[in-house]
Amino acid sequence: MRRAVPLLLAGAVGLLTGCGSVTVPADVDGTLDRATDGTLVVGVSEHPPWVDIDEKTGEVTGIEADLIASFAESINAEVQWQPGPESVLAGQVEEGAVDIVVGGLTTSSPWSSHLALTRPYATVTSAGGREEQMVMGVRMGENELLVELEKHLAREQGEVS
Amino acid sequence: MSWHNDADAGPVGGPLPSGPQEALHRAVRLEWITIGFLVVSVIAVGLVAGQSQAMQAAWAEDGLSLLPPIAFLIATRIIRRPPSLRHPYGHHRSIGVAHLVAGTALLLMGGILFISSVLGLIQLEKPPVGTTVLFGQQFWAGWLMIGVMIPTAVVPVILGRRKLRLAEELHDKVLRADADMNKADWTTAVATIVGVLGIGVGWWWMDAAAAILVSASIVYDGITNVKAAVEDLTDTRATRFDDSEEHPLIDEAEDLARAVPWVRQAAARVRDQGHVFHVEMFVIPEPGQDPGLEQLMALRHQLLDIHWKLHDVAVIPVASLPGYLLADEPRLR
Repeated sequence: MRRAVPLLLAGAVGLLTGCGSVTVPADVDGTLDRATDGTLVVGVSEHPPWVDIDEKTGEVTGIEADLIASFAESINAEVQWQPGPESVLAGQVEEGAVDIVVGGLTTSSPWSSHLALTRPYATVTSAGGREEQMVMGVRMGENELLVELEKHLAREQGEVS
Repeated sequence: MSWHNDADAGPVGGPLPSGPQEALHRAVRLEWITIGFLVVSVIAVGLVAGQSQAMQAAWAEDGLSLLPPIAFLIATRIIRRPPSLRHPYGHHRSIGVAHLVAGTALLLMGGILFISSVLGLIQLEKPPVGTTVLFGQQFWAGWLMIGVMIPTAVVPVILGRRKLRLAEELHDKVLRADADMNKADWTTAVATIVGVLGIGVGWWWMDAAAAILVSASIVYDGITNVKAAVEDLTDTRATRFDDSEEHPLIDEAEDLARAVPWVRQAAARVRDQGHVFHVEMFVIPEPGQDPGLEQLMALRHQLLDIHWKLHDVAVIPVASLPGYLLADEPRLR
């Protein structure tokens, strides 16, 4: 059993050198590559002021909608908004029908086993006086997309230059 | 020394003579260093572990690695207690108890980790690993995980090698179990690094596979140690510190007794009490040469002088011996 470890290591090294210029981390399903110069599917659930969905026009606005729009712009992608309740969106993101979920999610969100939550991009004090850390949800395993989104959020919030 | 017994029965002298006592002091110091290192490592790995299963398994293993040193430190304090009416054999068995506790903890936690990693693999859980901001720099958290795992691969191996030497000198199986785990720690660290690299290149299953490997190695350590501890606690014939073979002191003691002129045949029951052995030497006297008290006590002292490990020796004259005690004696087969 312990002999399997060097073997596994050799495999990993071979993998890394063999593939040449692999981006680390890579997406399991290549979502970022697909969305770049293409379409980013974003699940949105109504949650002002983070996400506002106009009932008549279907237009999506709000703090998080703006953040997503600027992220999509940075990878030259069109955003396809997909409205729905959080529970439905959590299922869709697991199936891969949705790439990112936004709607005022926090670190205490019950969906963390269905979604890869980003590192918190902002801290707000809720009505109850509790500190809430704002996050977005990305499809599990799509770590390149997760990293790029986190970097974008940190830049937008002025956390890093 | 906290107690001294020079009567003709019970453990002789104090808890340990000065030679092994000195080795014990060095072992105690090494175990404190180990605990210090593990606490730092548990905190560091815990901070960066995130959702990598391999990292979580490595974290649990580090936490569990605290048990053998703690059990060792407690046991080394307990053996100092003097034997009493209630504890007529003394307290060296606490080493065996510590060994069993450490082994059981390993087995249970390893089993839980193993099951959860297998479930993770079956349920296609793809571990998300995002970014970390450190000193104003944002980078993939996987690099940080790998950075933390490298020292945890190197330091325990060095500690483990030093402990193994002391474990042999002291005949201390807890120390040996601990040293073995430390020496195996580098494989855990390497497996974890491979798992994280796997996440990095999009091979999500590699993380779960690495976690399975790590937990299987914990289970293996657990089984080995529980088995050895139970054998010692149930008075299996004493073995060497690494359970590789029967302890050579058994033969040495029997040979010495058999060489005594008034002894026709001798056989010993030797049980491992921790650092030291409890020896019952049954002797059949030559016909018409029943030994006096002085002869019996002289033989007892000769046996005690062979090695400090023969700590509690009783010489018992008998008229016959059961066959199983002489099973290793070719002349009488």
